[in-house]
This record gives sequence, structure tokens and C-alpha cells, in this order.
Amino acid sequence: MSNQLLRVSGLSAGTEDKPILHDVSLAVGTGETHVLMGPNGAGKSTLGHVIMGDPAYQVTSGTIEFDGKGVTEDAADKRSLAGIFLSYQAPVEVPGVPLYSYLRTITQKRPELKMTARKFRARVGEIADQLDMGSSFLTRELNVGFSGGEKKKIEMLQLLLLRPKLAILDETDSGLDVDALSVVSRGIEAYRADCDGALLVITHNTRILERLNVDRTHVMVQGHLVAEGPASLIDSIDEHGFEQFEKASAIAGGDQA
Amino acid sequence: MAESTNGAQQDARPTGRMTLERVNTPPAQTWNYLRANDITLTVPVHSRKGDVYFALPRLFEGVECGMGQAVTTWAESQAKDAHYVEVKAGEKRDEPIVAQEDTGVMVRAGAEATIVICTPAGAPTQDTTAALVRIIAERESRVHVLEFVCGGSEQRLDSVGIIAAEDARIDVRQFFLGAGTTAAGLAVALDGNRARLELTCRYLGREQDILDINHVVRQRGRNTRCDVRESGVLDGHAKKSLRATIDLVHGSSGSEGAELENVLILSDDVTNKTMPVILCDEDDVAGNHGASIGSVGPEQIQYLRDRGLSVQEAEELYVRALFDEALICAPTPQSRAAVLARATDVLGSEVANDLVEGLGLGDAEEV
Repeated sequence: MSNQLLRVSGLSAGTEDKPILHDVSLAVGTGETHVLMGPNGAGKSTLGHVIMGDPAYQVTSGTIEFDGKGVTEDAADKRSLAGIFLSYQAPVEVPGVPLYSYLRTITQKRPELKMTARKFRARVGEIADQLDMGSSFLTRELNVGFSGGEKKKIEMLQLLLLRPKLAILDETDSGLDVDALSVVSRGIEAYRADCDGALLVITHNTRILERLNVDRTHVMVQGHLVAEGPASLIDSIDEHGFEQFEKASAIAGGDQA
Repeated sequence: MAESTNGAQQDARPTGRMTLERVNTPPAQTWNYLRANDITLTVPVHSRKGDVYFALPRLFEGVECGMGQAVTTWAESQAKDAHYVEVKAGEKRDEPIVAQEDTGVMVRAGAEATIVICTPAGAPTQDTTAALVRIIAERESRVHVLEFVCGGSEQRLDSVGIIAAEDARIDVRQFFLGAGTTAAGLAVALDGNRARLELTCRYLGREQDILDINHVVRQRGRNTRCDVRESGVLDGHAKKSLRATIDLVHGSSGSEGAELENVLILSDDVTNKTMPVILCDEDDVAGNHGASIGSVGPEQIQYLRDRGLSVQEAEELYVRALFDEALICAPTPQSRAAVLARATDVLGSEVANDLVEGLGLGDAEEV
């Protein structure tokens, strides 16, 4: 394995009244593509949000290291500036903030990305072309009134603009039609090609993975990572579903009890 | 186009002061216990002894202005001349009309015009500045009004009145960006059938700013439409009162009016008063209003934090967004200069220069 970029060790977390993740350990190397799969409600999105530092979840044990530093106690903005990016399953609408103002502000926050406004506009234009987006969207309020597909494109736009070291894509493929899925897939390919960033793709649908060279596959059931394997594990899941893992998890749970 | 004015400015030194009471009064007064039905202003008085005043055509006397008659009378008495502009029938005027102290604009049938109301740029050099603007939009005309209040005086009064005839389309974009006291009133009469108004009002109040706004839309024609959207950011000890009235007058059947305000409050010391009123004297009409008042939502904050902004930076983004939008809309060097000067004051010169450069304005002109 190449240098470890993300290392999650023995992580347990949940909301105030409900434990969700149990003793989760996971490592992602620089430039690697990992896939996290599992049935609905397994805790996949929660893991993404906990890695990002969402205060809605509390870490009860375990640690998160990123780029050689412990970030378990860091706020989300610090983790973002360190190079973690979480693409939302349902991007939040932010009325009162035009997309241009937002993109410019989050870019200028990163010393390595600071550029003149002219270059910035040109860069945004290039990315927008890659993603088949018109120019009028820049003056629209962030995610307000956008379709589901457009919102995902805005997420991809930010991914390509911010060039994070690690991108966590939380069901980016959900709710997309064929054309939008193709555009989003192109965005992910561009990120891999241009930024050499690592990917943790959270999904329970394998279509978005067709164009990706997956290094490792993880399976989560009921907050536990129950299996890990090479890309071929995806084919097995495609064929047999998650039932095999759910049964194993139930037996393991029974044994523990 | 016909245009007449001597373009005189007010003398620098007033000869006295007077109090204007019951300014910005809404058509239906209520909530008396809030003491928010009007504002009282003290304004300078300049002697006009010996001046010959060029008045607007009498037709403009019938245009109701948002701040009320007391302000109209005072503003007329203080302006040396009225500024009258007529846009000929069918003409599409590209050059914006820059409103002066007392301005009347006649937009003839089928014509299109843009009218800009703007404060002087920079730090306050005068006690009070004012604009009285009356517009008559004839049938099938299109009128764009852009209003920028960005300082330049301790106190600013903007009183605007518009009458829209059949099928006229009016859009108004207001940017009240401080500082000091801003009192602004807009009255729009949708007199003709199918006349339409789109009003967008964005405001910023901070430190000790006082912002007093009165919007009145009278829908008299059949099948008229109005869409009023106000939104802004309040911080520090700012005090804001907004009165927004949609009056669906008897005979306005088939008309629809909507008003919505979103206020973002960033400080516990802010005073925010919002008074939406819908008056209805017709059966077959629809009137809606809504308001959201509060801090940035936790979901929005988390989304912005996930992209690298602290809570404070996330809140500042909302302020920057106001200036971005104002600069995008500002059509004249004067209005851009005024917005930029205020942006420099509020956001600092680095961000202000970034706004200009980002919009591609940097090389075009010295602002």
C-alpha cells in the first residue's frame, strides 16, 4: 500500500442517543480509490460525516488520522482546509449566497489555490464546460432551485476547484438520470486524473464504479465493517447482494451476545 | 427623448432644520404598541429665496411616493430644479437615466428605460441627501429601477413613486447598504390591467445603522401581478423597520400579490421589525406573504464549514454576497464607485478589489 492518507482506527460514533458506528477501522492510501458499500441504513453516510467532523455525531472511541496528523478533535473547517472533501448526498440550499461569491470565498481560503479573480473566473469556466454547465448558474443562489442533477454537478465543480487530497463521495450517484450520471462520472475521472486525489466512494449502486479503477472495497452492515477485499468483491455483491454479509453479521452478533 | 434640467445641487450650508413627522407611513396602520408605524426625521432646510424653480409637469403631482407627502413637499422645496426626462413611445433607451434630487420620468407607450438612483460615493460629506423620483410608465412600457444607498451622507431619504399602465412591466432592485440612517419609501400603483411589478430589496444594517423602509403596492388593474422579495443582513446595533403593504383594490379581480422577507440576524443587539400587510377589497384575488427571521441555519453552517469556512467566515459570506450582487447590478460608474467605496468600508480593500476584479470591472474604469 502507498503512504496512508486516511487512517480510521477503532472508531465508534453515533448521535446523542444512538450508537451507529462500532469499532470501525479503515485505511486509505494516497491516490487510492476505495469503495464503501452496504445496505440502506448500514451507517455508510454516517462514517463519511464523522470523518468530515460533523458535530451532529459524537465519537465515543477511536481516532481519525489524516495526512499523518490526528484530526479527531478538529472542526470540519480545519479538516476541509487540511484536504478532506465530503460531497453531500443531498446538497444543502443556501439562500442569499450567489454561487460565484461562495466559490470565490472558499477558494481564497486556501493559500495553495489563491489566484487572481480573472484566473479564477477562467478556471471556473473551464470546469463548468467539463461538467456541461451554463454560465448563468454563477449568479444563482447556492443550490437554491437547482435540480438534483445540477446540485451534484455543483458538488463536482467544487471538488475540481478545491483539489482536495481525499474526496468522500456520499452516494453522489443517487437520484441521477443517465446523462447526469455520465457527467458526474466524468467529473470524478477528471479529479483522479488532474489531482491524483484519493477517493472513498460511498454507494450501494455499482454503476458509478464502472469507470473507476477500484483499489479496495469495504462492506458495512449495521455500523460494522464486515468485509474488505479487492475490486472483485464488487462483482460478488452485484451478483449476490448484501445478504451474505448481513447473515454473517447477524451470526457474529449472536456469537458476541 | 426629451430632457430638461438645470441640474443644480443643494447648497452646502443649510439655513435651518425642520422635523418631518409621520414619514414612511403604511396605508393601514397597526401594531401601534410597537411604535413602528412611521419614522420622524430631522432634515436641513436651505433657503431658496430668489430662486426660480422649474417644476415637473402637473401630471406627476398624482404620483404617490413611498415616503409620503411631507417628504415630497420638503424635497421639492429643497431642489433647485426638477429634472424631467421623457422616453419616446417605442424607444429603447440604453443609456441609464440618473435620477437627481427631484426627478420625473415619463416612459411612453412601448418604451423601455433604466433609471438609477444612487448616493454619492465615499464617506459622509453631507448631513442629508435625498432623491424624489416619480415615474409614469405608459402601456406596454418596460421600466427598470436600480437604487443604491451606500453612504455619502449621515442620512439618506429616497422617496419613489411609480404608476404603471396596462401591460407595463416594472422591475425594481434596491440595495440599501448603509451607513447611518436610511429612510426609503417606494409606492407602485399597478393601475392598468396586467401591469406587473418585480421588486427585490437587499439590505445591510450594521453598527448603529438605522434602516426604515416602506413598500406599498396598490393593485388596481385586473390581472395584475406583484412579487416583492426583501432580504438582508443585520449586525451590531442596527435597527431596521420594514413595512410592506400589498393593497388589492376593489376591481383588481384576477390579481395576485406576493411578499417574502428573509432576514439574517448576526447579533443579539439588533432591532428588527417587519410589518407585512395585505389589504384586500376584491374576491377573486390572491395575496401571500411570508417571513423568515433568524441566524444562519445549522445545516447551512455545517455545509459551509465542510468547505473550509469558520462560522464567522460563513456569516461574512452573506455580507460579501450582497456587495457582489450590487456590483453586478450597478450600471453606471457612479453607482459602481458608491458600492465599491462601501464595500471597502465593510469588507476591507482586499475583498473590495477582488469584487471588482472578479466582475471584470478593474480595467474598464477608475471607480
